Amino acid sequence: MQKAAPLTKLILTVFVTIWAIMLQSIPALAILIAAQLLILILSKVSAGIYKGVASLFIFAFLLGGLQYVFSNDIILSVVTALKMTAMTLVFAILLATTRMQDLSAALVTQCRVPYEYAFMLTAALRFIPDLLTESKAIQEAQACRGFSPGGNPITRLTSFMAIIKPLVLKSVSRSETMALSLELRGFGSKKNRTFGSNVALEVRDYAMLALMTAITISLILVRF
Amino acid sequence: MTAITIDQFSYAYKNNQKVLDNINAVIEEGSFTAVIGPSGAGKTTLCLAIAGAVPHYYGGSLSGNVLVNGMSVRDTTMPDLAQTVGTVLQDYETQLVTMTVEEEVAFSLENIGLDRGQIATCVKEALAKVGLTGFERKEVSALSGGQRQRLVIASVLAANPKILVLDEPTSALDPEGTESIYQLLSDLNKQYSITIVVVEHETAKILPYADQFILINGGKCLQSGYPAKVLTYMWKHKIYTEAIPPLWQLKLTLEDKTGFQFADWKNEDDAASELRKLIQKEASISA
Repeated sequence: MQKAAPLTKLILTVFVTIWAIMLQSIPALAILIAAQLLILILSKVSAGIYKGVASLFIFAFLLGGLQYVFSNDIILSVVTALKMTAMTLVFAILLATTRMQDLSAALVTQCRVPYEYAFMLTAALRFIPDLLTESKAIQEAQACRGFSPGGNPITRLTSFMAIIKPLVLKSVSRSETMALSLELRGFGSKKNRTFGSNVALEVRDYAMLALMTAITISLILVRF
Repeated sequence: MTAITIDQFSYAYKNNQKVLDNINAVIEEGSFTAVIGPSGAGKTTLCLAIAGAVPHYYGGSLSGNVLVNGMSVRDTTMPDLAQTVGTVLQDYETQLVTMTVEEEVAFSLENIGLDRGQIATCVKEALAKVGLTGFERKEVSALSGGQRQRLVIASVLAANPKILVLDEPTSALDPEGTESIYQLLSDLNKQYSITIVVVEHETAKILPYADQFILINGGKCLQSGYPAKVLTYMWKHKIYTEAIPPLWQLKLTLEDKTGFQFADWKNEDDAASELRKLIQKEASISA
């Protein structure tokens, strides 16, 4: 899957979403999820991705449970949970098998998304580990000053503001510096921006797109 | 050839606080210059003026001019200046905006519209210059502090700038990392004739590498020239003496007390060698 072009994988996410909406039977949805899990396994993604996938399953289970509480229809609840799993799993495949620079290049050059928006996506992902590290450092600093969140959930949530406030202030300051550094590196230059990544579609991508289209047409014919 | 000319340059930020006051200095092509001075002296603002962020990014009011390779920073846009001046900010971590090493170095090149082949070549060369070959696919978040600093330097070097401006590049590094970064800058200066301008308040760190000091205090340029000249000026006029390297405090004290004139010590070895010769000479005279 790593070898497929990012655009092919983006289109796959759209097709899988359509399939998940169209499919109504539990076995069909289960096959769709199994196929996606097989793609993940064959793609040899990192162990961290499987943790994320496990969380998706837990969330889907909770969603199904909630549906059952309100509708009292076990079939509908299972179908809802499976649809949700199928639709989100494909994003895990997309993110686990595509480098961000390739995804960004595909969004800008092939999907005509303005570069600023594509850059926002990569920059946000880039700073998640830094924000987590900073949050941990603030928690430790506040703990040294006697911060110990406890009590009922509302009290805990309120006391957590002692972490949130400095984190937000630091992030704002960081964004100022980042804006300056982007200017200093020619971001927003009037020259046409290029991309180092090669995201052109190859024969394999066209074959995948044809297969996806064929599956979709078959589903439409079967359903209507 | 002159790389940077700072001509009667004064600057105030938008809040009207005057930060730089009639600065005059000349930085020669291929030199290694350290801008020194206490906190709040205006060192960072001076560097930002060389990079064009002052006044283009910060606004404010100014008089005089800064010429970079003959271009007036007032009349040249920041993206155009970025092709001549590579800038490394003090908070260098924030300067890293992409996920992987390769992507980070390619970022500036993509901004100026180079084609894929040129980008690949420049990325390879820049990483080789800073000793990060083989790190192309590594995630930025997985790098150590020193490696991140090297990556930032590589990312500005990729655009092949003639001048490199660094604001306290080693403030977050351990002594080993500091030594390694200054050695790298010195190599870039000598091998590729890149003009280096470094803001540093610990003069001992930069002394072995710099060939020019610019002393800034209260927004004014008090002295510039050879490190020995500036350090002696600071000692004699009791200005920011706490920043004079301990080795130079010893040298200048010995000169004051004994009347001897020692050479310009760059490190402990220079000092030991000269003192040993002096002691032997004195011993032979008294014998």
